Formats: sequence, structure tokens, C-alpha cells
Amino acid sequence: MELKFKVGDPVTVASENPTGYPRTPRYIRGKRGVIGLVHGVLENVRDHRGIHKPLYTVRFDLSEVSTCHDQDSIWVDVHEEWLSGLRAEERN
Amino acid sequence: MSGKHGHKPFEGHMHDFEAHIRAVEEDLEYYRAKRFEPRIFYLIRRGVVTFSDLLNARVALKRSNQFFKPRKPQGKNIEARVRYLEEWLDEYVKGIALVSARAVEAMDMVTEDNRKERGDYDDFFKFKKKEHKGTLKERMVNVGRDLKDYQELLEVFVQALIKRGWSTRRELEQHWKQLHEERPWAGGVIVAKAWTDPAFKQALLSTGREALREMGVHQGKVGKLVVVENTDKVHNVVVCTLCSCYPYDILGDTPWWYKHESYRTKIVQNPRACLQAMFQLEVPAGKEVKVYDSTSDVRYFVLPERPSGTEGMSEEELAKLVTVDSLIGAGYALEPSQQKKAMKLGAAPESPRVRPD
Repeated sequence: MELKFKVGDPVTVASENPTGYPRTPRYIRGKRGVIGLVHGVLENVRDHRGIHKPLYTVRFDLSEVSTCHDQDSIWVDVHEEWLSGLRAEERN
Repeated sequence: MSGKHGHKPFEGHMHDFEAHIRAVEEDLEYYRAKRFEPRIFYLIRRGVVTFSDLLNARVALKRSNQFFKPRKPQGKNIEARVRYLEEWLDEYVKGIALVSARAVEAMDMVTEDNRKERGDYDDFFKFKKKEHKGTLKERMVNVGRDLKDYQELLEVFVQALIKRGWSTRRELEQHWKQLHEERPWAGGVIVAKAWTDPAFKQALLSTGREALREMGVHQGKVGKLVVVENTDKVHNVVVCTLCSCYPYDILGDTPWWYKHESYRTKIVQNPRACLQAMFQLEVPAGKEVKVYDSTSDVRYFVLPERPSGTEGMSEEELAKLVTVDSLIGAGYALEPSQQKKAMKLGAAPESPRVRPD
């Protein structure tokens, strides 16, 4: 499967659940991050049936997902259908 | 005091009995309400067993055909009784692992089913957990009574599985024996090798499970394994904010607090404050804290920094310095002097218990 994103790409997480897949934590919905790791399509037959879209680990500044302003980061695994690329004018 | 790592309080004071009992209470309710009873409901819904099977199995139960053997405390002092409760809890969890393995196979269950069933995504389905009140003495009596009741349901469930032909007594006995085999904890073995063998470390960080196959360690099969390295610039921490994802197939069970809501919410809101408050861990200002929130397909553990004063130590000695907390990022690997002190107090890290699927 063609991968939509590569390491370093800025992305936004969807606010609403696009497919019903429940495992995208609420605190990152609608938030902006950067692709940190690319995993591609993973089979995990013990965990779920069928094949999911490619998986990425997205890096968020802590201050983007929390009220804490430490210069730290939160890395969350997110499937591709949840992510959209940022438009150029939205990039900081 | 002996006892598995999971019973230790946040800060590891070994004579803080209250903290030990709290850990037993928390873990016991977790395993009942999240790992065992939702699974019974799943199997009842699908007709694998029925309520009547369970009732009939209870009626037919005799001391002579009992699968789980009763235990007795070794001594009357508080330490002996705390240890007794801890060991009983471990047996209960092993019992769940035993029946889970069979049920999962028989029903073609996947973890996702279990998460739905136990209400990870929908509070409507959540099993209520018991609250614990009273003096320490009262709580110890209560938790002992709970263990007896919960164990009895497990016993009855095993009997019903046998009666319905989902398993045989012999098969279960063999598996039960395997669950009690002691082996060196893979976490310590893996980290010690990574500290001493740069080529292995490189392979571990870049290929995860593949590297474990080469070193002959059980490599598990739950999701992709990613190992993140602590350095003088980065301190990594692992959490699963949705449930309790963890490479348990390699490392065994997590400490109880990993599954607790307070850790799961606070660590992503204010990581430094959480590490400080729960584990007295002060991460230097010059290091970036990276928190990895696992959502099941990837399982993470932290490669801690090698402690100072360990030059020339063998892999076997180094493995003893590796704590479960240090692989989650809630602590550092022990320095040799700390490890000696812990040994003296009888608080040295032990292998985590097996964790049910």
C-alpha cells in the first residue's frame, strides 16, 4: 500500500472518528503533530481481525495536547485515515 | 519482603504494608473486572458455557476434584500474611491466564473483543470495581475473603470448561505446570545484552522482535515491538491511555499502577510532575521527556541508561540491576549499591508474573 506520509510531515488528527475505529485517544483529536515513525500496515491477528490502514507514530508538542508548557513531547500511534496533511499556509 | 514486582508501591518502601495491600486490592479488582468476568460474559453470550453449567459445576465440586489447591499462610505475623495474599493473587492471575488461553483458542477471540466486552470504549459495559475501606487489618480480611470468592468462581469455570469438553483436565494440568516454571526475566536479559553488545543494541533498536529471535529470547507475538533508548538528552516513558497495552508477551505483567487511571491520565498531561509525584523521579531540565502512548499495534519498552559503577560487570550481574519500572521510564536501572541494599531488605526485583491474554 502506498504510504501517504513520511517522517517529518506535519499532520492534523481528525476531530471526528472517520471509521468507527476506537483506538485513537480523544486528547489528540483535532491536534497538530509531526510524523515521527512510519510503521506501514501491521498485521496483528491476536488483537483485531482484518487489516488496518498504515500506522504512524505522531509526535505532538506537549503544549499542543495539554495545558502544560514543558518542552516535552507525546508520541501516539495513529492510523492513516485519521490524519490529514497540513496546508502550507497553516504551517508555523 | 518477597512478592512480585507488581505489588510494590510507587516508591518501593518494602515495609509499607498499606501500600502492598493497596496494590493487591487494585490488581485483584483489575483482574476480576477487566480480565476474567467480562470473558465469562463473552462465553455465556456465545453459548460456550451457560449459567446452568456454572451452577451445576459448583454443586458437583468436591475437595477431591478441585483443580486449584488451597494455600495456607506461612506464619502469623503481618509480613507473612501480606505475602500470603500476594502469592494468592499471583495464583489467581495465573488461573485466569490458564482459562484465557483455552477460551481464546476455543472461541477464536481477539483482544479487541475483550476490550469491547469489558467497556474500554463504552462505560455502559464496565464492570464496577469494589471500593476498599476500613483499617489495614479489616482490608486484609476483606481482600482475603474476596480472593476466596473470586478463586471459587474461577474454579467453577474451569470445571465447566472440562465438563463441556472445551478442555481436558490433563491439558490444563500441563499448562498449569508451565505457568509455574521459573525462568530469568527476559527484560533484564535483553537490557544487559544491549548494554554490553553494541551490535545487538543496534539490532534491537532498529528491528525489535527480530533481534530477540537472534539472541534466543522468547520474542512473543503481540504487535510490533519498538524499543526506545534513554540517553543524556532523552528520557522515554511508556503508557497506554486507553487500556494497558504493553509487551507483556515478552516482559510479563506490568506493575499495578501502569493499569491505574491516575497514571494513564496524568502522564500525558504533565509528565514531569507525574514522574515526580508518583515515582520521585526528577528528570533533569536538559533532557526531553518523550511519552509514548501505545494503541495496541505497537508495543514499547524503554532501554534504560547503563548505571555508573558497572564497568566490567557480567551480563548476568547487569541483568539484576534492571527493574520493571526502568523499562517503562518510571525509574532508572539500579546502581550496584542500590541493588545490594535492596537484596538485603529482601526487596530485590523479581520476575513479573505471567499476564493473561
